[in-house]
Amino acid sequence: MAGFLEYVPGESLLHRMNPVAKLACALILSVACFCTGNLVFLLGVVVLDLALAASCSMTRQALGLARAVAAFSAVLALIALLTTPEGAVLAPLPWGYVGTGSVLAAVRIIVRLVACAVPLFLVMYVTQMNDLANALVKMAHVPYRYAFTFTSTVHFIPVFMNDMAGIMEAQTARGVEFDGSFAKRLRLMAPLCVPLLVSSVRKTNSAAIAAEVRGFNLRTAASGYKTYPMAARDWAALAACVLVLAAAIALSALGM
Amino acid sequence: MIEFRDFSFRYREGDAPVVRDVTLTIPDGCFVGITGAAGSGKSTLTYAVNGIIPHCYPGDFYGAVTVEGMDTVETSLTDLSRAVGSVCQDIDSQMVSSIVEDEVLYGLENFGVPRDEVEARLADALELMGIADLRHRAIDSLSGGQKQKVAVASIIALRPRVLVLDEPTAELDPASSAAVFDLLATYAREHGTTVIVVEQKIALLAEHADMLVIVDGGRVRFAGAPGEVLEHSAELLELGVNCPRSTSLVNRLRASGLYAGPAARDVAEAAAACREVIA
Repeated sequence: MAGFLEYVPGESLLHRMNPVAKLACALILSVACFCTGNLVFLLGVVVLDLALAASCSMTRQALGLARAVAAFSAVLALIALLTTPEGAVLAPLPWGYVGTGSVLAAVRIIVRLVACAVPLFLVMYVTQMNDLANALVKMAHVPYRYAFTFTSTVHFIPVFMNDMAGIMEAQTARGVEFDGSFAKRLRLMAPLCVPLLVSSVRKTNSAAIAAEVRGFNLRTAASGYKTYPMAARDWAALAACVLVLAAAIALSALGM
Repeated sequence: MIEFRDFSFRYREGDAPVVRDVTLTIPDGCFVGITGAAGSGKSTLTYAVNGIIPHCYPGDFYGAVTVEGMDTVETSLTDLSRAVGSVCQDIDSQMVSSIVEDEVLYGLENFGVPRDEVEARLADALELMGIADLRHRAIDSLSGGQKQKVAVASIIALRPRVLVLDEPTAELDPASSAAVFDLLATYAREHGTTVIVVEQKIALLAEHADMLVIVDGGRVRFAGAPGEVLEHSAELLELGVNCPRSTSLVNRLRASGLYAGPAARDVAEAAAACREVIA
C-alpha cells in the first residue's frame, strides 16, 4: 500500500488526465473555496471532492486526509470561535461572546480547508511526480530547477519517514518505550530529530550529486522524453472547474 | 586513459589526507578493481575520477587526475559526466524518480540523447541488467539488489566511456553479484568502456578485472594484473584484504616450492595448479 503522498497506480479518469490540467483543476477548486463563505457551496465542494476520490478508489485515503485536515483546522476554528463575536449570543466571554455567527465562522474554516485540501492531495496520489514535474516544465514553463526541488521534496518524505521509523525501532530495541501520551512521545522523539537531520542532509547531498553527474545542469524545457497532450477530458474538467469558480464568485458578489 | 599523478586529497573537514601520493595509469578499456579495508580511501579515488572531488566535496587537492586528457579539477562536473558515468554507494539517494523507466530516462533526457535513440537505449540497458520486466515498477517496491541493477542500468544507458561503480553489488547475493560482474565485463569488452569498480568481494575482482588496485591508508600498495597482485596474499591479509582460499592455497604451494606457476585467480586455476603439483 502506498504511503503518505506516494503515487497510487490506477486507470481511472483522474489517473489518465493531463498532470497540469489536474493540478490546475485542483487549484481552481481551492481558489473557489476562498472566493465565497457560503457553507452550502463549500459542503458541495466537499461532496465533489469525495466523489472524485471515489472515482479513483481513493475514498479511504480522502476521508483520512479530510479527518487530518479537520483536526488541524480545528485550532484555527477555535480561535475564530473565540474571536468572532457575531450573531445571537450563545456564551458570553470576558472579551466578547460566542455567538451563532462565531460557530458558523468556525465551521466554515474547517469545511473550507477540507474542501480545498482534498483535491490538491488527490492530485499527488493519482499523478507520478515525474510526470507532474515534466508536464509543468513543458506546458507551464516552470523552471526545471523548481520542479525538481518540488518532486525531490515529495520523493524524500517517505524516505525520511522510513528513516525516522528505523531510528525509533533502534531506540525501542534499546528499551525506549514510545507508548504513552502525545507529550511523552514528543519528548522522546525530539532528540531523534538530530540523527534524522544528519541522515537527511547526507541523503539530499547524495541525491544532488547523483542528479548532477547525470546532467542535471544540462536539462532544458525540451529535454523531457514523454509528451503530455491535452485531451478533450482535460478541457472539459477545466471548464467544469471554471464554472465552479464562477459560481463561487457569483455567490460572493450576491452576498450569499 | 585515466592518470593519477602524485594525487593526494584531504577533505576540508578532515585532519589528514585521505589519499596520498597516488600515481597510477589506467589504460582505455581496462576493467579495474579497487579494494582495501574500510576507510582506506577507495571511494575517494573514484571521486577524483568522476569529479565529485573537488567539485562537490571541497578540500586540498594535490597533484593531478586526468580523464581522457581532461583535468578533473579544471573540467566542470557536467562536462566530466559526459565521459564518466557514476553509480554511487548510496543507491536510495541516487534515485531521482519514482518509476524505473523514468529513472533510466532521466540521464538520457538531460544529455539530450536524440528521441529516436532513447527507446532503444532504455530497452537495451534494462535488458542488459536483466530487469526489463521491472520497467514500469515503482522504485520503492524494489529490493535493494533490484535498485542496484536499476542504478547501473540508468548509467549504462548513457553509454559513458568510463564507468565508475562504488560497491555495485553491496546488496546482492553471491549469484547476482557474479552475474552483475559478468554483465559489466561483457559490456566493457563489447563497448571498449573503461570500468572502475570499488568492491570488497575480491574473488569477483580477481576473476573479472584486468587490473587490481589495493589501497591502504590512502596509498596504493599494489597495482597490477590480478595474478601479480594476488601473489602477495600474505601482505594483503595484513592490509585487511582476504584473498580467495584458492589463491591462498596456491600461494602456499608456491611458498613451499612445490609450484612455480602464477597465483590462482579462481577455483579452476587453483585446481589446475593442484593437478600439476600432484602429477
